[in-house]
Amino acid sequence: MAALEALGPEALTQAGQRRDAIFMQQGITFDAGGPGSGAVRDRPFPLDLVPRIIPADEWNQIKRGLAQRIRALNHFVDDVYHAREIIHDGKVPWQLVVSRPAFARAAHGIRPPGGVYCHVSGCDLVRDANGAWKVLEDNVRTPSGISYVLENRRAMTRLLPALFEHYRVRPVDHYPALLRTALEEVAPTGGEEEATVVVWTPGPYNSAYFEHAFLARQMGVELVEASDLVVRDSVCHIRTTRGLQRVHAIYRRIDDDFMDPLEFRPDSVLGVPGLMRAYRAGSVAIVNAVGTGVADDKAIYHYVPEMIRYYLGEEPIVENVPTYLMSDREQRAWVLERLDQVVVKPTSESGGKGVFIGPSASDEEIAAQAAEIKREPERWIAQDLVKLSTVPTAQPDGGLAARHVDLRPFAVFGDDIRIVPGGLTRVALREGSMIVNSSQGGGSKDTWVLEADDTPMPHPAPHAWSSPRMPELPMGGSWSSQQQQQQQ
Amino acid sequence: MNFAIRYLTEYRYESPVTDNLNALRVKPATMATQSVEDFVVRVDPEARLNRHLDYFGTQVIEFGISRPHDHLSIDVRARVQTSTPAEPLDTDWEAIEDRAYDAAAGEFVLPVGPEPDHLILDELVGDTRGESPLATLRRMVEVIPDRFEYRAGVTYVGSTVGDLLAAGAGVCQDFAHLALLLLRRHGIGARYVSGYLWAPSTDDEASAEVETHAWIEALLPNGSGGLTWIAADPTNRTLGGESHVKIGHGRQYADVPPIKGVYRGAAGSSLSASVRMTRSDVTPISSP
Repeated sequence: MAALEALGPEALTQAGQRRDAIFMQQGITFDAGGPGSGAVRDRPFPLDLVPRIIPADEWNQIKRGLAQRIRALNHFVDDVYHAREIIHDGKVPWQLVVSRPAFARAAHGIRPPGGVYCHVSGCDLVRDANGAWKVLEDNVRTPSGISYVLENRRAMTRLLPALFEHYRVRPVDHYPALLRTALEEVAPTGGEEEATVVVWTPGPYNSAYFEHAFLARQMGVELVEASDLVVRDSVCHIRTTRGLQRVHAIYRRIDDDFMDPLEFRPDSVLGVPGLMRAYRAGSVAIVNAVGTGVADDKAIYHYVPEMIRYYLGEEPIVENVPTYLMSDREQRAWVLERLDQVVVKPTSESGGKGVFIGPSASDEEIAAQAAEIKREPERWIAQDLVKLSTVPTAQPDGGLAARHVDLRPFAVFGDDIRIVPGGLTRVALREGSMIVNSSQGGGSKDTWVLEADDTPMPHPAPHAWSSPRMPELPMGGSWSSQQQQQQQ
Repeated sequence: MNFAIRYLTEYRYESPVTDNLNALRVKPATMATQSVEDFVVRVDPEARLNRHLDYFGTQVIEFGISRPHDHLSIDVRARVQTSTPAEPLDTDWEAIEDRAYDAAAGEFVLPVGPEPDHLILDELVGDTRGESPLATLRRMVEVIPDRFEYRAGVTYVGSTVGDLLAAGAGVCQDFAHLALLLLRRHGIGARYVSGYLWAPSTDDEASAEVETHAWIEALLPNGSGGLTWIAADPTNRTLGGESHVKIGHGRQYADVPPIKGVYRGAAGSSLSASVRMTRSDVTPISSP
């Protein structure tokens, strides 16, 4: 931290003001409204100006552990929608799998191009008080946050270039190229044509819209909404000014439930009707694949170490945090006696929603949580409270203080698994707090993975910016549904 | 019994529509007590039909018509032979109270989504509880039609058990959903069945206008150490028999809708659907 000290508190404060101005101007904000607050309030995403440093050897272990885990999760998704071998061999209970809300019956029997399901993953890691890295949560649906990783690095190189002079920091700006390559690798073009890739967003009202637009622009591909896509003869097309153009791979940032009204949610006409037909016919890759949510469910998480042993015949390189299933009578009884010491999470939520933290809960809150668990045990899991590690973090006065952090590295799986060095470090900005979610008062840090000592200094790659190509003709007409009640 | 089934659905649209995509689950299943001798689907305007088996093993036929059209007809014809299932054997409750049963019943013993918070459900669980799982199934097909009126038009395709309880009346789809909920509360695995029911208005008819029908199947011990799905029809106070022609099953209606479609265009459309079943193994009695 010698470089930081050389900089001094004043320079740090000034850089902070410039940071907020730049982020607001570029729209790098998040919705700070919180649940039920109604109005959307955009605030600049709080980037802490003190980078978090991960040494090369630690990163190597994380990288190997993540790749191993993602391979196992990918096997699991394939297995539950096909042969169910892990079920037949008694390792994971079938009733648990089928009762997960994200278990997608529509994905049954569909093997996507290349057998890849978990194309993009963002597992959350923590370093406990003993310095051991642990996986806190898996995330293989539509993990977000990579745009902050890239923007944080850009902002840091602009605001505090002097800091970089003393470290050999591994670059992160190749992520869009990695993603685009993976999309092209899984695109079923038959080797005959160039792959057409799109990013599918639910639209500007989505809280991660900035990231959707950012990634489309960085990859140089079109950003589309459902109305821009149409399926004809089992092939998905995008409407362009020149007519229909075949789409080979869709990076979708939309939940399974809203993809195809013919397969999901009979009450909904959102999505692209017939998309599952095209997917089943193998004419389009959907990234991440349909139904991956079954693998990152918090109750399934409990079984991931077992999956690693089962599918790969290896011991987990990065371990789980001890987790207790509330659907299991014995584990439930054990946890109900120690609610003041554990963390309780709903199995199917993300973003820190509904998380109960025992040590900071009042007696009433503990009683209420106990009642919730007894009412719907299968909805909850409990975990040992992990004392997150702390790193130095800038204070408003320019001084430094220890704050808790986690880490979300981003992995991309096409022909192979590639992981961008570092990831999104989220930091709790309040003293003692372990809640790092940006919607609940957390911030982020630029994460520096250092080159091994024998690696030469990298040259920063120039940024390739290209303007987004937006589809111009929205499709006319709204969708209607037709369905008969069974009555006799 | 041998049946010729014709299921004809016709949509007329007030103004031309495009991209009309439909998924059909209309083909009779092949199983021990039922065989399909002939099955043809014709769609007008003409379209290429894609077939696959879904998660529950039901054949799905999908097609799309992209060019503008103002009508759509789906003409399904099948020839089926059915036989009477073996009389189910009675066993005690203990036979379904173990992990092996739960594993076999899988998702069919779990609740589907949130259930209505209604005291009447507890009361119905009590009223339908019998000496054995089979006795419970037999009570189920009596208690539901005793307590609820069969009346079309009170509920709709998306109605829930809560809607049936509130209205006090419904159709076979609603009766089946209620039976499933209650059987699962008893710890009995149960699934929704979609199909056709031979229901002539008089005994000597050889052909009858019917509609698609819904009933249920319950997973019961068969007395020889195995488990068997036993059909029961809570609309008609009976266990399943050779008059029931099964298409497929699921946890609920939404897993096996006979016809589900989406089109692009004006919302206004009119629908006419008819199912005609004709006995092909009896000589029609000609009217004098």
